[in-house]
Amino acid sequence: MRKTIDWWWGILLAFSLLAVMRAFLPLPFVNEIMIFSIYAIGCSFLLGRVGFISFGQPAYLAFGAYGTAFYLFYFGTNPFVGIFVGVAAGFIAALIVGPLFVRLRSDYFALVNLALAVIIFYLMQKVLAPITKGDNGLWFLTNMTSTPLLDITRPNHFFVFAFLVALLVWAFYKYLDDTIFGACCLATKINEDKLQFIGYSNFKIRLSAFVIANTTTALAGSLYAVYIGSVSPEITSPARAADPVVVILLGGVGTLYGPIVGSIAYTGMKDVISKLIGNWEMIIGPLLVIIMLAGEKGIWGTLEPWLKKLFFRNTSSTSNKSNAGTDN
Amino acid sequence: MDATLLVSGVIFGLSIGSIYFLMAIGLSLCFGLMRVISLDQLLYYSIGAYIAYSVSLATGSFWLGLLAAVVVGGIVSLLIERLIFRRIYDRDLTFSMITSFGVLLGGVGFIKFIWGLVPRPVPMPISNQANLFGTDIPVYRLLVIVAAIAVYVAIWLFLNRTIIGKAIRAGIENVEHVEGLGINVSRLFTITFLIAGILSSLAGALHAPLIMVDPHMGLEVLAFVFMVVIIGGLGSIKGTLVSAFIVGQVVSIGSLIYAPLAQMAPFAIMLLILLIKPTGLYGSVLLKK
Repeated sequence: MRKTIDWWWGILLAFSLLAVMRAFLPLPFVNEIMIFSIYAIGCSFLLGRVGFISFGQPAYLAFGAYGTAFYLFYFGTNPFVGIFVGVAAGFIAALIVGPLFVRLRSDYFALVNLALAVIIFYLMQKVLAPITKGDNGLWFLTNMTSTPLLDITRPNHFFVFAFLVALLVWAFYKYLDDTIFGACCLATKINEDKLQFIGYSNFKIRLSAFVIANTTTALAGSLYAVYIGSVSPEITSPARAADPVVVILLGGVGTLYGPIVGSIAYTGMKDVISKLIGNWEMIIGPLLVIIMLAGEKGIWGTLEPWLKKLFFRNTSSTSNKSNAGTDN
Repeated sequence: MDATLLVSGVIFGLSIGSIYFLMAIGLSLCFGLMRVISLDQLLYYSIGAYIAYSVSLATGSFWLGLLAAVVVGGIVSLLIERLIFRRIYDRDLTFSMITSFGVLLGGVGFIKFIWGLVPRPVPMPISNQANLFGTDIPVYRLLVIVAAIAVYVAIWLFLNRTIIGKAIRAGIENVEHVEGLGINVSRLFTITFLIAGILSSLAGALHAPLIMVDPHMGLEVLAFVFMVVIIGGLGSIKGTLVSAFIVGQVVSIGSLIYAPLAQMAPFAIMLLILLIKPTGLYGSVLLKK
């Protein structure tokens, strides 16, 4: 029993804080944070655990979003099935491009992903315009039927749903961290030769990690599609390619709660700053530089040891693992 | 296809390729020697274009604007190297990528703050047309191509004939050994970064009359410049020249065949080349420091 509580305490604490935020902050803002943090955790897992930085996450977001959009626009009306279709589309797409991409070195990997995002962008905007309606995007808000019990076409019910999904996603990633697979991912980042020597295949581990991370990203895309009720090529715009990377750096690379903290900080800052002055880039850019120069731990990475000292004076050794990714 | 259309398409491709080359060579040198990915080169490109715009508007001479752009771009890149890059040379590659992205983003915000969001036109300095194979070609485009080739020759001579250039080449092979010979590596880094910054702002200033100058121009070419560096192989000058012209031609000829191809085809080609040869056309297996 004690062990179960230990395992859950961080997740429950983080999510109860999010639930509290719901009471104080406007609903669209909280919903955006939920979606954004699911979006960012895939990228965080890739960068922090496997050592792959991806500048092409919008591509996988688009796979999910367009999967959902096609289903809801052309075929069905049930948003839950739509989300399932989106996730399946993302899973299949990641499975197809994964074997080609994970062979590459980290810096090339980043750029090939960026290339994929650009290709998907023009594919959706121009080449497939008859199906995707080009820049206008697909609008299917009225196509969705309300579902009993949890009507996710309504924003306040959507929040509950997104909250539950995010909780599951975090529990899943927490579980991954504790498995042998999670340890192997870290090992392939730090020393692939040794891992191979022990008898694991680097390729298989990287491929699984890639597929898991990008299916999560596709899930965020589907949620986004259902929440907004429309999808346009703007979602995979190369100009927004760095968003998830910025978020996870703000939050702290490879930490479990970094993506949530980063999403709150980034969305909040963008909101506040763009209200005060027109160009948020002028603040975010130098801030990014300062965060990087101060050390690459990010907000959560700096807070975590400190919080741990505060709450768990004696059991701090249990989750030191989650910091290992940042300290190499 | 029409012959005149083809000739003008090829010239267009060569001039675009020249601009890409001027920018990619800085990125390539920075990666080769310092093992940093310097996205802020795109900022010097925008700054070059904007300074060229402002000075040529104030003085009426584009060439004065070009000179001012190069000087200002050089100064800004020197400042940023001294203030920021100096501290991150020995960090991870991704680290420099994100820090320089922050610099780029901040710079774009700064440009928006000074010049506003509206795209600005820069008047063409030479409006003459030259006749080539029965096709009228703007002389300015030919000039851009000549400038890029001159820069290639100059860089080649610099790297092969001067002692600093030789030290840079040796540094690309092995920085520790160069340091062991008693050469001031830190100064070498500064010089390389300065060259990269100057070439990027030159590219921006040269490109300005051909396009509209707007705050996001750096982000627009980002993907193409990266593609040039990747296809050519990180750290190789010759590969950069070859791949710049390939990408330029693909963009130009592709758009003649089917307009959406202009943006997509180069990326498809890059994917293909990387999948066949993961280090690019001329790239050797570069290990991280």
